[in-house]
Amino acid sequence: MEIVDVNAWTGHWGTYTVPGTVDAVRRQLLDVGVTRICLAPLEAVWAHNPHHRNTTVYQAAARFADITPVPVLDPTIASWPEELHRARQAGVRLVKLVPAYSRYDLGTAEPLLDALEEACLTVLVQLRLEDPRCHHPMACVEDFPAADVARMAQRRPRLTVIIGGATTANLVALKAPLRDLPSLYADISQADGMDAVRRLVDAGLHTRLLFGTHAPLFEPLAGLARVLPELDDQTAAAVLGRNASAVLDRNGGDGAGRR
Amino acid sequence: MTGRGASLESLRQRIEPPCAALDFHTHPLADFGPCPVSTPAEDAGLLAAAARRAGISRMVVFSLHHTCARQPDMAQIREANDYALRLRDAQPEVFVPFCYVSPCFPQEGAQEVERCIGRERMAGVKLWVARRASDTALDPIMLQAERWGVPVLQHAWNKTVGQLANESYPDDVADLANRFPRVRIVMAHLNGVNPRGVETVRSCPNVWIDTSGGDPQAGIVAYAVERLGSGRILFGSDAPLRHPAVMLSKALAAGLERQGLRDVLWSNAARLLPDWSGVAALDEAGSRRPANPPAREGRIDQG
Repeated sequence: MEIVDVNAWTGHWGTYTVPGTVDAVRRQLLDVGVTRICLAPLEAVWAHNPHHRNTTVYQAAARFADITPVPVLDPTIASWPEELHRARQAGVRLVKLVPAYSRYDLGTAEPLLDALEEACLTVLVQLRLEDPRCHHPMACVEDFPAADVARMAQRRPRLTVIIGGATTANLVALKAPLRDLPSLYADISQADGMDAVRRLVDAGLHTRLLFGTHAPLFEPLAGLARVLPELDDQTAAAVLGRNASAVLDRNGGDGAGRR
Repeated sequence: MTGRGASLESLRQRIEPPCAALDFHTHPLADFGPCPVSTPAEDAGLLAAAARRAGISRMVVFSLHHTCARQPDMAQIREANDYALRLRDAQPEVFVPFCYVSPCFPQEGAQEVERCIGRERMAGVKLWVARRASDTALDPIMLQAERWGVPVLQHAWNKTVGQLANESYPDDVADLANRFPRVRIVMAHLNGVNPRGVETVRSCPNVWIDTSGGDPQAGIVAYAVERLGSGRILFGSDAPLRHPAVMLSKALAAGLERQGLRDVLWSNAARLLPDWSGVAALDEAGSRRPANPPAREGRIDQG
Protein backbone atom coordinates (compact mmCIF):
# COMPACT_ATOMS: atom_id res chain seq x y z
CA MET A 1 0.00 0.00 0.00
CA GLU A 2 1.63 3.21 -1.16
CA ILE A 3 0.94 6.28 0.95
CA VAL A 4 2.37 9.60 -0.18
CA ASP A 5 2.34 12.56 2.17
CA VAL A 6 2.55 15.60 -0.10
CA ASN A 7 2.55 18.10 2.72
CA ALA A 8 5.00 17.33 5.52
CA TRP A 9 7.49 19.68 7.12
CA THR A 10 10.61 19.51 9.21
CA GLY A 11 11.84 22.08 11.66
CA HIS A 12 10.99 24.23 14.63
CA TRP A 13 7.76 26.15 15.22
CA GLY A 14 7.63 29.15 17.49
CA THR A 15 4.27 28.99 19.22
CA TYR A 16 4.29 25.37 20.33
CA THR A 17 6.72 22.52 20.52
CA VAL A 18 6.63 20.10 17.63
CA PRO A 19 8.59 16.88 17.10
CA GLY A 20 10.13 18.43 14.03
CA THR A 21 13.54 16.89 13.47
CA VAL A 22 13.87 14.94 10.25
CA ASP A 23 14.18 11.71 12.19
CA ALA A 24 11.17 12.43 14.39
CA VAL A 25 8.94 13.44 11.49
CA ARG A 26 9.99 10.45 9.44
CA ARG A 27 9.47 8.06 12.36
CA GLN A 28 5.96 9.40 13.00
CA LEU A 29 4.98 9.21 9.35
CA LEU A 30 6.34 5.71 8.80
CA ASP A 31 4.43 4.71 11.90
CA VAL A 32 1.14 5.60 10.21
CA GLY A 33 2.10 3.81 7.03
CA VAL A 34 3.46 6.66 4.90
CA THR A 35 5.86 5.32 2.29
CA ARG A 36 6.92 8.57 0.61
CA ILE A 37 7.38 11.84 2.48
CA CYS A 38 7.37 15.13 0.59
CA LEU A 39 9.32 17.18 3.10
CA ALA A 40 9.58 20.97 3.18
CA PRO A 41 11.54 23.15 5.61
CA LEU A 42 9.23 24.62 8.22
CA GLU A 43 11.71 27.28 9.27
CA ALA A 44 11.64 28.69 5.74
CA VAL A 45 8.24 30.11 6.55
CA TRP A 46 9.67 32.69 8.94
CA ALA A 47 13.11 33.14 7.39
CA HIS A 48 14.14 36.38 5.71
CA ASN A 49 15.58 34.18 3.00
CA PRO A 50 13.63 30.91 2.92
CA HIS A 51 16.11 29.44 0.49
CA HIS A 52 18.73 29.12 3.20
CA ARG A 53 16.55 26.53 4.94
CA ASN A 54 16.20 24.22 1.96
CA THR A 55 19.52 22.52 2.62
CA THR A 56 17.83 20.61 5.44
CA VAL A 57 15.50 18.75 3.12
CA TYR A 58 18.20 18.01 0.55
CA GLN A 59 20.30 16.49 3.30
CA ALA A 60 17.30 14.52 4.58
CA ALA A 61 16.62 13.15 1.11
CA ALA A 62 20.26 12.09 0.83
CA ARG A 63 19.90 10.07 4.03
CA PHE A 64 16.52 8.48 3.41
CA ALA A 65 15.15 7.10 0.16
CA ASP A 66 11.57 7.64 1.35
CA ILE A 67 12.03 11.41 1.63
CA THR A 68 11.33 13.60 -1.39
CA PRO A 69 12.77 17.09 -0.93
CA VAL A 70 10.35 19.97 -1.37
CA PRO A 71 12.24 23.25 -1.32
CA VAL A 72 10.43 26.48 -0.56
CA LEU A 73 10.99 29.03 -3.31
CA ASP A 74 10.36 32.72 -2.84
CA PRO A 75 10.04 34.94 -5.91
CA THR A 76 10.74 38.05 -3.83
CA ILE A 77 14.28 36.87 -3.17
CA ALA A 78 16.34 38.20 -6.04
CA SER A 79 18.42 35.06 -6.28
CA TRP A 80 15.48 32.71 -6.78
CA PRO A 81 16.81 31.54 -10.19
CA GLU A 82 19.88 30.17 -8.41
CA GLU A 83 17.69 28.33 -5.91
CA LEU A 84 15.59 26.94 -8.72
CA HIS A 85 18.77 25.80 -10.42
CA ARG A 86 19.81 24.02 -7.22
CA ALA A 87 16.41 22.33 -7.09
CA ARG A 88 16.71 21.14 -10.67
CA GLN A 89 20.22 19.87 -10.07
CA ALA A 90 18.85 17.90 -7.11
CA GLY A 91 16.16 16.29 -9.24
CA VAL A 92 13.33 17.97 -7.37
CA ARG A 93 9.81 17.27 -8.68
CA LEU A 94 7.76 19.45 -6.32
CA VAL A 95 8.41 22.94 -4.92
CA LYS A 96 6.42 24.88 -2.39
CA LEU A 97 5.38 28.54 -2.29
CA VAL A 98 4.24 30.17 0.94
CA PRO A 99 3.05 33.57 -0.28
CA ALA A 100 1.08 34.49 2.84
CA TYR A 101 4.23 34.51 4.96
CA SER A 102 6.45 36.28 2.43
CA ARG A 103 3.74 38.79 1.51
CA TYR A 104 3.53 38.49 -2.23
CA ASP A 105 0.74 37.77 -4.67
CA LEU A 106 0.93 35.32 -7.50
CA GLY A 107 1.36 38.12 -9.98
CA THR A 108 4.71 38.80 -8.38
CA ALA A 109 5.51 35.13 -8.84
CA GLU A 110 4.88 35.11 -12.60
CA PRO A 111 8.56 34.83 -13.64
CA LEU A 112 9.09 32.00 -11.18
CA LEU A 113 5.92 30.26 -12.33
CA ASP A 114 7.11 30.60 -15.94
CA ALA A 115 10.34 28.92 -14.96
CA LEU A 116 8.58 26.13 -13.06
CA GLU A 117 6.34 25.51 -16.04
CA GLU A 118 9.33 25.40 -18.34
CA ALA A 119 11.07 22.94 -16.01
CA CYS A 120 7.95 20.73 -15.72
CA LEU A 121 8.02 21.07 -11.93
CA THR A 122 4.89 20.80 -9.80
CA VAL A 123 4.13 23.67 -7.43
CA LEU A 124 2.26 23.48 -4.14
CA VAL A 125 0.91 26.82 -2.93
CA GLN A 126 0.36 26.74 0.82
CA LEU A 127 -2.68 28.72 1.96
CA ARG A 128 -2.23 28.47 5.71
CA LEU A 129 -0.02 27.01 8.38
CA GLU A 130 -2.28 27.53 11.39
CA ASP A 131 -5.90 28.38 12.03
CA PRO A 132 -5.75 32.21 12.17
CA ARG A 133 -7.75 32.17 15.40
CA CYS A 134 -4.86 30.36 17.05
CA HIS A 135 -1.95 32.46 15.83
CA HIS A 136 0.37 34.12 18.25
CA PRO A 137 -1.13 37.59 18.75
CA MET A 138 2.05 39.24 17.52
CA ALA A 139 2.43 36.96 14.50
CA CYS A 140 -0.89 36.94 12.68
CA VAL A 141 -0.85 35.91 9.03
CA GLU A 142 -4.00 35.87 6.95
CA ASP A 143 -4.76 32.85 4.82
CA PHE A 144 -3.71 33.15 1.20
CA PRO A 145 -6.82 33.24 -1.03
CA ALA A 146 -7.54 29.81 -2.48
CA ALA A 147 -9.30 31.38 -5.46
CA ASP A 148 -6.06 33.12 -6.48
CA VAL A 149 -4.37 29.75 -6.79
CA ALA A 150 -7.22 28.34 -8.87
CA ARG A 151 -7.15 31.37 -11.17
CA MET A 152 -3.40 30.98 -11.61
CA ALA A 153 -3.90 27.31 -12.48
CA GLN A 154 -6.56 28.25 -15.02
CA ARG A 155 -4.14 30.64 -16.70
CA ARG A 156 -1.38 28.01 -16.74
CA PRO A 157 -2.78 24.66 -17.83
CA ARG A 158 0.73 23.31 -18.46
CA LEU A 159 1.79 23.87 -14.84
CA THR A 160 0.74 21.25 -12.30
CA VAL A 161 -0.57 23.05 -9.24
CA ILE A 162 -1.45 21.73 -5.80
CA ILE A 163 -3.53 23.83 -3.42
CA GLY A 164 -1.97 23.20 -0.01
CA GLY A 165 -3.62 23.59 3.38
CA ALA A 166 -7.06 24.48 2.06
CA THR A 167 -10.08 24.25 4.32
CA THR A 168 -13.08 22.20 3.32
CA ALA A 169 -14.95 25.42 2.58
CA ASN A 170 -12.15 26.46 0.20
CA LEU A 171 -12.28 23.14 -1.60
CA VAL A 172 -16.05 23.05 -1.86
CA ALA A 173 -15.95 26.56 -3.36
CA LEU A 174 -13.33 25.41 -5.89
CA LYS A 175 -14.83 22.08 -6.81
CA ALA A 176 -15.57 23.19 -10.38
CA PRO A 177 -12.00 24.16 -11.32
CA LEU A 178 -10.65 21.20 -9.36
CA ARG A 179 -12.89 18.87 -11.31
CA ASP A 180 -12.37 20.52 -14.68
CA LEU A 181 -8.67 21.43 -14.72
CA PRO A 182 -6.51 18.33 -15.22
CA SER A 183 -3.50 20.15 -13.80
CA LEU A 184 -5.07 21.29 -10.52
CA TYR A 185 -4.98 19.21 -7.31
CA ALA A 186 -5.62 19.80 -3.63
CA ASP A 187 -3.95 18.47 -0.53
CA ILE A 188 -6.45 17.50 2.17
CA SER A 189 -4.31 18.04 5.25
CA GLN A 190 -6.63 20.77 6.54
CA ALA A 191 -9.95 19.60 5.10
CA ASP A 192 -11.94 19.07 8.26
CA GLY A 193 -15.60 18.63 9.12
CA MET A 194 -17.90 15.65 9.25
CA ASP A 195 -17.77 13.59 6.05
CA ALA A 196 -15.59 16.26 4.43
CA VAL A 197 -13.42 14.03 2.25
CA ARG A 198 -16.35 11.85 1.26
CA ARG A 199 -18.31 14.90 0.17
CA LEU A 200 -15.37 16.07 -1.91
CA VAL A 201 -15.11 12.64 -3.50
CA ASP A 202 -18.85 12.63 -4.13
CA ALA A 203 -18.37 15.97 -5.91
CA GLY A 204 -16.21 14.17 -8.45
CA LEU A 205 -12.81 15.05 -7.01
CA HIS A 206 -11.54 11.55 -6.27
CA THR A 207 -8.64 11.94 -8.72
CA ARG A 208 -7.81 15.47 -7.57
CA LEU A 209 -7.31 14.94 -3.84
CA LEU A 210 -3.87 14.25 -2.41
CA PHE A 211 -3.10 12.97 1.05
CA GLY A 212 -1.17 15.31 3.33
CA THR A 213 -0.58 15.29 7.06
CA HIS A 214 0.82 18.76 7.82
CA ALA A 215 3.14 16.96 10.23
CA PRO A 216 4.76 17.83 12.57
CA LEU A 217 2.28 20.66 13.24
CA PHE A 218 -0.59 18.18 13.13
CA GLU A 219 -0.79 14.64 14.45
CA PRO A 220 -0.09 12.36 11.47
CA LEU A 221 -2.78 9.95 12.61
CA ALA A 222 -5.34 12.67 11.96
CA GLY A 223 -4.45 12.54 8.28
CA LEU A 224 -5.47 8.93 8.08
CA ALA A 225 -8.59 9.66 10.11
CA ARG A 226 -9.78 12.12 7.48
CA VAL A 227 -9.72 9.43 4.83
CA LEU A 228 -10.20 5.92 6.11
CA PRO A 229 -13.61 6.14 7.81
CA GLU A 230 -15.08 7.82 4.75
CA LEU A 231 -13.82 6.00 1.69
CA ASP A 232 -13.87 2.51 0.23
CA ASP A 233 -10.52 0.79 -0.25
CA GLN A 234 -10.18 1.67 -3.91
CA THR A 235 -10.87 5.37 -3.47
CA ALA A 236 -8.81 5.53 -0.29
CA ALA A 237 -5.84 4.03 -2.14
CA ALA A 238 -6.14 6.70 -4.82
CA VAL A 239 -6.32 9.57 -2.35
CA LEU A 240 -3.64 8.19 -0.04
CA GLY A 241 -1.06 7.51 -2.70
CA ARG A 242 -1.96 6.73 -6.27
CA ASN A 243 -3.01 10.26 -7.22
CA ALA A 244 0.15 11.78 -5.76
CA SER A 245 2.43 9.24 -7.39
CA ALA A 246 0.91 10.06 -10.74
CA VAL A 247 1.62 13.74 -10.15
CA LEU A 248 5.14 13.38 -8.79
CA ASP A 249 6.35 10.83 -11.28
CA ARG A 250 4.82 12.33 -14.40
CA ASN A 251 6.81 14.03 -17.17
CA GLY A 252 9.24 11.15 -17.30
CA GLY A 253 9.89 11.38 -13.59
CA ASP A 254 11.49 8.24 -12.32
CA GLY A 255 11.59 9.14 -8.67
CA ALA A 256 14.94 10.86 -9.00
CA GLY A 257 13.61 13.66 -6.87
CA ARG A 258 13.36 11.27 -4.00
CA ARG A 259 17.11 11.50 -3.59
CA MET B 1 5.76 0.79 13.82
CA THR B 2 3.43 -0.07 10.99
CA GLY B 3 6.19 0.40 8.44
CA ARG B 4 6.17 0.22 4.70
CA GLY B 5 3.41 -1.35 2.80
CA ALA B 6 0.87 -1.37 5.63
CA SER B 7 -2.48 -2.75 4.60
CA LEU B 8 -5.55 -0.57 4.64
CA GLU B 9 -7.05 -2.94 7.16
CA SER B 10 -4.17 -2.44 9.59
CA LEU B 11 -4.35 1.31 9.09
CA ARG B 12 -8.08 1.31 9.76
CA GLN B 13 -7.33 -0.42 13.05
CA ARG B 14 -4.85 2.31 13.95
CA ILE B 15 -7.57 4.94 14.09
CA GLU B 16 -10.00 2.86 16.15
CA PRO B 17 -10.19 3.67 19.85
CA PRO B 18 -9.02 0.82 22.13
CA CYS B 19 -12.04 1.23 24.39
CA ALA B 20 -15.53 2.63 24.18
CA ALA B 21 -15.54 6.33 23.35
CA LEU B 22 -18.01 9.06 24.27
CA ASP B 23 -17.93 12.36 22.42
CA PHE B 24 -18.73 15.10 24.92
CA HIS B 25 -19.33 17.92 22.41
CA THR B 26 -21.53 17.61 19.33
CA HIS B 27 -24.22 19.60 17.56
CA PRO B 28 -27.07 18.55 15.32
CA LEU B 29 -26.54 18.80 11.59
CA ALA B 30 -29.49 21.19 11.58
CA ASP B 31 -27.24 23.72 13.37
CA PHE B 32 -23.87 23.31 11.68
CA GLY B 33 -24.14 20.41 9.28
CA PRO B 34 -22.65 20.17 5.82
CA CYS B 35 -25.95 19.13 4.29
CA PRO B 36 -29.61 19.91 4.91
CA VAL B 37 -31.66 17.50 6.99
CA SER B 38 -35.40 17.23 6.95
CA THR B 39 -36.17 15.56 10.27
CA PRO B 40 -34.54 15.06 13.67
CA ALA B 41 -34.52 11.32 12.98
CA GLU B 42 -32.52 11.84 9.79
CA ASP B 43 -30.20 14.19 11.66
CA ALA B 44 -29.71 11.63 14.42
CA GLY B 45 -29.05 8.90 11.90
CA LEU B 46 -26.37 10.82 10.01
CA LEU B 47 -24.63 12.07 13.12
CA ALA B 48 -24.66 8.67 14.79
CA ALA B 49 -23.41 6.96 11.65
CA ALA B 50 -20.46 9.36 11.41
CA ALA B 51 -19.65 8.69 15.03
CA ARG B 52 -19.93 4.94 14.54
CA ARG B 53 -17.49 5.07 11.62
CA ALA B 54 -15.05 6.78 13.97
CA GLY B 55 -15.57 4.18 16.72
CA ILE B 56 -17.63 6.47 18.96
CA SER B 57 -20.67 4.96 20.65
CA ARG B 58 -22.19 7.77 22.72
CA MET B 59 -22.50 11.50 22.07
CA VAL B 60 -23.42 14.46 24.20
CA VAL B 61 -25.50 16.65 21.90
CA PHE B 62 -26.99 20.12 22.25
CA SER B 63 -28.71 22.33 19.77
CA LEU B 64 -27.97 26.05 19.52
CA HIS B 65 -31.11 26.36 17.39
CA HIS B 66 -30.92 26.00 13.63
CA THR B 67 -30.45 29.77 13.28
CA CYS B 68 -27.44 29.69 15.64
CA ALA B 69 -28.58 33.07 16.91
CA ARG B 70 -26.03 34.30 19.41
CA GLN B 71 -28.77 36.01 21.42
CA PRO B 72 -31.63 33.53 21.08
CA ASP B 73 -35.02 34.27 22.55
CA MET B 74 -36.73 31.81 24.85
CA ALA B 75 -38.89 30.38 22.08
CA GLN B 76 -35.77 29.54 20.08
CA ILE B 77 -34.12 28.03 23.14
CA ARG B 78 -37.11 25.79 23.84
CA GLU B 79 -37.25 24.79 20.18
CA ALA B 80 -33.55 23.96 20.26
CA ASN B 81 -33.95 21.81 23.34
CA ASP B 82 -36.97 20.05 21.90
CA TYR B 83 -34.87 19.24 18.85
CA ALA B 84 -32.12 17.71 21.00
CA LEU B 85 -34.77 15.63 22.75
CA ARG B 86 -36.02 14.36 19.39
CA LEU B 87 -32.47 13.25 18.58
CA ARG B 88 -32.44 11.25 21.78
CA ASP B 89 -35.86 9.84 21.03
CA ALA B 90 -34.55 8.68 17.66
CA GLN B 91 -31.44 6.98 19.03
CA PRO B 92 -31.56 6.81 22.83
CA GLU B 93 -28.68 4.37 22.94
CA VAL B 94 -26.41 7.02 21.33
CA PHE B 95 -27.42 10.55 22.33
CA VAL B 96 -27.07 12.23 25.70
CA PRO B 97 -28.80 15.60 25.32
CA PHE B 98 -27.80 18.77 27.18
CA CYS B 99 -30.09 21.69 27.90
CA TYR B 100 -29.13 24.92 26.12
CA VAL B 101 -29.97 28.10 27.98
CA SER B 102 -29.22 31.80 27.79
CA PRO B 103 -28.33 33.92 30.81
CA CYS B 104 -30.14 36.78 29.10
CA PHE B 105 -33.23 35.15 30.58
CA PRO B 106 -31.99 34.02 33.99
CA GLN B 107 -35.29 33.02 35.54
CA GLU B 108 -36.81 31.56 32.37
CA GLY B 109 -33.51 29.82 31.81
CA ALA B 110 -33.67 28.27 35.23
CA GLN B 111 -37.21 27.12 34.45
CA GLU B 112 -35.98 25.63 31.19
CA VAL B 113 -33.35 23.69 33.11
CA GLU B 114 -36.13 22.46 35.38
CA ARG B 115 -38.15 21.34 32.34
CA CYS B 116 -35.30 19.74 30.44
CA ILE B 117 -33.41 18.12 33.27
CA GLY B 118 -36.10 17.68 35.88
CA ARG B 119 -38.78 16.37 33.55
CA GLU B 120 -37.07 15.36 30.33
CA ARG B 121 -33.90 14.09 31.94
CA MET B 122 -31.36 15.82 29.86
CA ALA B 123 -27.95 15.28 31.41
CA GLY B 124 -26.26 18.68 31.54
CA VAL B 125 -26.39 22.38 30.73
CA LYS B 126 -24.83 24.09 27.72
CA LEU B 127 -23.89 27.78 27.75
CA TRP B 128 -22.66 29.58 24.63
CA VAL B 129 -22.04 33.28 23.96
CA ALA B 130 -25.12 35.15 25.14
CA ARG B 131 -23.19 36.31 28.22
CA ARG B 132 -19.64 35.83 29.42
CA ALA B 133 -19.24 33.23 32.12
CA SER B 134 -18.13 35.88 34.60
CA ASP B 135 -21.53 37.58 34.32
CA THR B 136 -23.66 37.01 37.41
CA ALA B 137 -26.70 36.62 35.16
CA LEU B 138 -25.56 33.00 34.92
CA ASP B 139 -26.14 32.44 38.63
CA PRO B 140 -29.78 31.23 38.62
CA ILE B 141 -28.87 28.71 35.92
CA MET B 142 -25.80 27.57 37.82
CA LEU B 143 -27.87 27.12 40.96
CA GLN B 144 -30.16 24.82 39.00
CA ALA B 145 -27.18 22.86 37.71
CA GLU B 146 -25.95 22.53 41.27
CA ARG B 147 -29.37 21.43 42.44
CA TRP B 148 -29.60 18.68 39.83
CA GLY B 149 -25.94 17.72 40.04
CA VAL B 150 -25.34 17.98 36.32
CA PRO B 151 -22.26 19.30 34.51
CA VAL B 152 -22.21 22.65 32.74
CA LEU B 153 -20.47 22.84 29.37
CA GLN B 154 -19.26 26.41 28.87
CA HIS B 155 -18.06 27.59 25.46
CA ALA B 156 -14.70 29.36 25.67
CA TRP B 157 -12.02 30.58 23.30
CA ASN B 158 -8.98 32.77 23.29
CA LYS B 159 -9.02 34.07 19.74
CA THR B 160 -6.21 36.03 18.17
CA VAL B 161 -8.63 37.42 15.62
CA GLY B 162 -10.94 38.82 18.31
CA GLN B 163 -13.74 37.26 20.33
CA LEU B 164 -17.38 37.20 19.44
CA ALA B 165 -19.43 39.60 21.50
CA ASN B 166 -19.82 38.13 25.00
CA GLU B 167 -17.63 35.14 24.17
CA SER B 168 -15.96 33.78 27.29
CA TYR B 169 -12.24 33.66 27.84
CA PRO B 170 -10.76 31.01 30.11
CA ASP B 171 -10.54 33.68 32.82
CA ASP B 172 -14.32 33.99 32.71
CA VAL B 173 -14.65 30.24 33.19
CA ALA B 174 -12.28 30.30 36.14
CA ASP B 175 -14.37 33.08 37.66
CA LEU B 176 -17.52 30.99 37.20
CA ALA B 177 -15.83 27.96 38.74
CA ASN B 178 -14.78 29.96 41.76
CA ARG B 179 -18.31 31.31 42.22
CA PHE B 180 -19.80 27.81 42.03
CA PRO B 181 -17.20 25.39 43.39
CA ARG B 182 -19.75 22.58 43.69
CA VAL B 183 -20.75 22.70 40.02
CA ARG B 184 -18.66 20.64 37.64
CA ILE B 185 -17.81 22.78 34.65
CA VAL B 186 -16.43 21.59 31.33
CA MET B 187 -14.59 24.33 29.45
CA ALA B 188 -14.94 23.68 25.73
CA HIS B 189 -12.27 23.76 23.00
CA LEU B 190 -8.84 22.77 24.22
CA ASN B 191 -7.17 24.16 21.08
CA GLY B 192 -9.18 27.33 21.33
CA VAL B 193 -8.25 28.11 24.90
CA ASN B 194 -4.67 26.97 24.16
CA PRO B 195 -2.02 26.33 26.80
CA ARG B 196 -2.70 29.69 28.41
CA GLY B 197 -6.25 28.63 29.10
CA VAL B 198 -5.12 25.31 30.51
CA GLU B 199 -3.00 27.18 33.03
CA THR B 200 -5.86 29.56 33.83
CA VAL B 201 -8.14 26.78 35.08
CA ARG B 202 -5.45 24.54 36.50
CA SER B 203 -6.16 25.73 40.02
CA CYS B 204 -9.92 25.18 39.62
CA PRO B 205 -10.55 21.53 40.55
CA ASN B 206 -14.15 21.75 39.36
CA VAL B 207 -13.13 22.55 35.76
CA TRP B 208 -12.55 19.92 33.09
CA ILE B 209 -11.55 20.70 29.49
CA ASP B 210 -12.93 19.05 26.36
CA THR B 211 -10.66 18.43 23.39
CA SER B 212 -13.21 19.59 20.85
CA GLY B 213 -12.68 21.88 17.95
CA GLY B 214 -9.54 23.24 16.41
CA ASP B 215 -7.04 21.41 14.31
CA PRO B 216 -5.36 18.14 15.33
CA GLN B 217 -2.46 20.11 16.72
CA ALA B 218 0.46 17.92 17.70
CA GLY B 219 0.94 17.48 21.42
CA ILE B 220 -2.00 19.56 22.61
CA VAL B 221 -3.80 16.71 24.41
CA ALA B 222 -0.55 15.41 25.91
CA TYR B 223 0.13 18.92 27.20
CA ALA B 224 -3.29 19.22 28.81
CA VAL B 225 -3.01 15.81 30.44
CA GLU B 226 0.44 16.63 31.73
CA ARG B 227 -0.78 19.86 33.31
CA LEU B 228 -4.22 18.81 34.61
CA GLY B 229 -4.03 15.03 34.75
CA SER B 230 -6.01 12.61 32.62
CA GLY B 231 -8.91 12.87 35.07
CA ARG B 232 -9.76 16.38 33.88
CA ILE B 233 -9.65 16.02 30.11
CA LEU B 234 -12.64 14.83 28.07
CA PHE B 235 -12.76 13.81 24.45
CA GLY B 236 -15.05 16.02 22.40
CA SER B 237 -15.18 16.64 18.66
CA ASP B 238 -17.45 19.60 17.90
CA ALA B 239 -18.96 17.51 15.10
CA PRO B 240 -20.31 18.16 12.56
CA LEU B 241 -18.09 21.26 12.39
CA ARG B 242 -15.17 18.91 12.87
CA HIS B 243 -14.60 15.33 11.85
CA PRO B 244 -15.11 13.00 14.82
CA ALA B 245 -12.32 10.63 13.81
CA VAL B 246 -9.86 13.47 13.22
CA MET B 247 -10.61 14.91 16.63
CA LEU B 248 -10.41 11.47 18.20
CA SER B 249 -6.96 11.01 16.72
CA LYS B 250 -5.71 13.92 18.84
CA ALA B 251 -6.32 11.77 21.91
CA LEU B 252 -5.23 8.48 20.35
CA ALA B 253 -1.90 10.01 19.30
CA ALA B 254 -1.21 11.65 22.65
CA GLY B 255 0.83 8.74 23.97
CA LEU B 256 -1.39 8.25 27.00
CA GLU B 257 -1.23 5.19 29.20
CA ARG B 258 -4.16 2.78 28.99
CA GLN B 259 -5.95 4.20 32.02
CA GLY B 260 -5.34 7.77 30.93
CA LEU B 261 -6.84 7.13 27.53
CA ARG B 262 -9.85 5.39 29.08
CA ASP B 263 -10.31 8.43 31.32
CA VAL B 264 -10.28 10.82 28.39
CA LEU B 265 -12.42 8.76 26.04
CA TRP B 266 -15.05 7.58 28.47
CA SER B 267 -14.52 7.35 32.22
CA ASN B 268 -14.38 11.06 33.00
CA ALA B 269 -17.65 11.55 31.16
CA ALA B 270 -19.20 8.61 33.00
CA ARG B 271 -18.19 10.19 36.29
CA LEU B 272 -19.53 13.63 35.35
CA LEU B 273 -22.85 12.61 33.86
CA PRO B 274 -25.82 11.79 36.07
CA ASP B 275 -26.95 8.21 36.47
CA TRP B 276 -30.03 8.75 34.38
CA SER B 277 -27.89 9.47 31.33
CA GLY B 278 -27.29 5.75 31.00
CA VAL B 279 -23.52 6.24 30.67
CA ALA B 280 -22.04 3.59 32.91
CA ALA B 281 -18.43 2.89 33.84
CA LEU B 282 -16.35 0.74 31.54
CA ASP B 283 -15.65 -2.86 32.37
CA GLU B 284 -12.09 -4.15 32.61
CA ALA B 285 -11.91 -4.83 28.88
CA GLY B 286 -12.88 -1.26 28.08
CA SER B 287 -16.38 -2.12 26.92
CA ARG B 288 -19.52 -0.41 28.01
CA ARG B 289 -21.37 -2.01 30.88
CA PRO B 290 -25.05 -2.53 30.21
CA ALA B 291 -26.97 0.45 31.42
CA ASN B 292 -30.64 1.14 31.68
CA PRO B 293 -31.79 3.42 28.91
CA PRO B 294 -32.82 6.83 30.17
CA ALA B 295 -36.37 6.90 31.45
CA ARG B 296 -38.45 10.01 31.18
CA GLU B 297 -40.59 9.50 34.25
CA GLY B 298 -39.99 8.63 37.88
CA ARG B 299 -37.78 9.75 40.67
CA ILE B 300 -34.41 11.24 39.87
CA ASP B 301 -31.49 11.04 42.20
CA GLN B 302 -30.42 14.64 42.36
CA GLY B 303 -26.90 13.75 43.50
